[in-house]
Amino acid sequence: MKAEILRALNKRPLPRMLTPSTLLLATYILLALAAPVIAPQNPYAPLQIYAWEASSPPGTAGSGGFLYLLGTDGLGRDIVSCILYGLRISLVVSITSAAIAALIGLTAGVSAAYFGRWVDVAIMRLVDLQLSLPTILVALIAIVTLGPGIDRIILALIIAQWATYARLARSVALSETRKSYMDAARLMRLPTSRILFRHLLPNSIAPAVTLIPIEVGHAVALEATLSFLGLGVPSDKPSLGSTVANGFQYLLTGQYWISLFPGLALFGLIASINFVGEDVRRRLDPRSRSV
Amino acid sequence: MALISVALGRLSQSVLLLFAMSLIGFIGIHSIGNPVFNIVNIETATPDDIQRATIALGLDQPVWRQYALFLDNVVHGNFGTSYIYHQPALALVMSKLPATLELACVAMLVAAPAGTGVGLLAGRRKGGLFDRTALRSSVFALSIPSFWLSMMLILLGAILTGWFPSGGRGATASFMGLEWSVLTKDGLWHMILPTLALAVPNIASIARLSRSGTIEVESLDFTRFCRAKGLSPRRILFRHTLPNISVPIMTIIGLQFGGMLAFAVVVESIFSWPGVGKLLIDSIQLLDRPVVMATLTFISVAFIALNAFVDLFHAVLDPRVRLAS
Repeated sequence: MKAEILRALNKRPLPRMLTPSTLLLATYILLALAAPVIAPQNPYAPLQIYAWEASSPPGTAGSGGFLYLLGTDGLGRDIVSCILYGLRISLVVSITSAAIAALIGLTAGVSAAYFGRWVDVAIMRLVDLQLSLPTILVALIAIVTLGPGIDRIILALIIAQWATYARLARSVALSETRKSYMDAARLMRLPTSRILFRHLLPNSIAPAVTLIPIEVGHAVALEATLSFLGLGVPSDKPSLGSTVANGFQYLLTGQYWISLFPGLALFGLIASINFVGEDVRRRLDPRSRSV
Repeated sequence: MALISVALGRLSQSVLLLFAMSLIGFIGIHSIGNPVFNIVNIETATPDDIQRATIALGLDQPVWRQYALFLDNVVHGNFGTSYIYHQPALALVMSKLPATLELACVAMLVAAPAGTGVGLLAGRRKGGLFDRTALRSSVFALSIPSFWLSMMLILLGAILTGWFPSGGRGATASFMGLEWSVLTKDGLWHMILPTLALAVPNIASIARLSRSGTIEVESLDFTRFCRAKGLSPRRILFRHTLPNISVPIMTIIGLQFGGMLAFAVVVESIFSWPGVGKLLIDSIQLLDRPVVMATLTFISVAFIALNAFVDLFHAVLDPRVRLAS
């Protein structure tokens, strides 16, 4: 599996992996990591915010001794800093939730295929129930049930996303369980957990792994949408989505910069993740390569 | 026989889904706060008033009993009365439904032909300039968060240029006892921006599907035969390729339509379009439990019906599916 990925990646020499989207994504990640160092202001620290400078247009000189390059929001927070800090939340939430959802979904899907019978029925019934509703609706119901907060939104996104992995992993694992190495493992009387996690899981993982980047992109958009609706991240720690949302009431009076720039950053982030995800899938999944 | 057992399985699964949704929704709406404080006047109410309101709404009962009562009422077709609007909850949802359906239908009427057309043209010359542009634009279109797209449409189309109104439904005309915006010029004018906001991502996903379908079909033997017969490329594309890719396209249109109803939550709240989605968000924020429950149940029923319809349609259009079952 590891060799397979390496081989697929090596088909293209390294310089050709440096596409605009990977560079953009790398920049985003670096900016998010460096946010506390490079952001002119800490938007979470009330003492650094000057309320009388609320909704200043881009380019205004601020009392904090720096320029509001992209203006300030309705509470006087510097938009550049809000974007940098918001990126951290968006990335942490989406990567964590996609990774945990993948882990849970893969385990559930592989277990369903291996154990069959009632385990299969129970897990897949739940998966089918969930996949018959759009993800945004599942996430919406989950976050309403769980209440606001960053940990809750991660949980809600995991709930919304695990089923996709489970269905894919089950279909792959079903064909793996019939192969002779599985018979061999069973005949050797290996413990079930060992068969499951050391033999079946690693061999069924590849197609689902290609889903992860795309699902990270979905998670960013979902988190932003939930935060926009006022159901996600609390407003004192704005994510990109809630910063855009905060700007909505000011948009109608012409103070466009509060929503425009954070939204643009969000759009760029999702687009770069989607391009990278598509690229990864095209290289790793032979079925989609032909089309 | 096989068809009946499939249908029965479907039905039992649907009932299960409805039951699960109602239970989760009920517990969820129960856990986010006490609606009493949104109903009594918080400044003048005495603890006595609050106590009386709590008992009047049945909120003093334990959760399981409230849920049992809710189920009992629902079986009798009663979703309770809205705490805020003092109207029957289901009737309230139904009164908002035409606005949502209208928006979703018009958006789909725009998205389906546009997406299919772009996909056909892109797939016909795989790797050409148009194909590459379309493919790249589709990723961008699918990456735009719909709330931001809506806000930018308002900024460009309403605030900076003043061409379109920034929200609301505009004038409506009565038809079959319901109010429709499509029938008046002002109403249509109000629909343009929200329709665009809903249609753009759908154009992209339909275009991607129809592109890959076109590439697949155009490489089959019968297309080569058509070409050998000397049919014009246009005739092959529209008379032979299009019917062959129509089944998956119809399927995705059905599924996307469901997704549109869900995304209407976002688009409707931004354009203050008085539909079901806006009602749901407003009710969640006001803790108007009967309306939230009625809306969630209604949306679930709509989805189940839509999924069943798509499957049925699939079976009717594609003989292979019929034979397989």
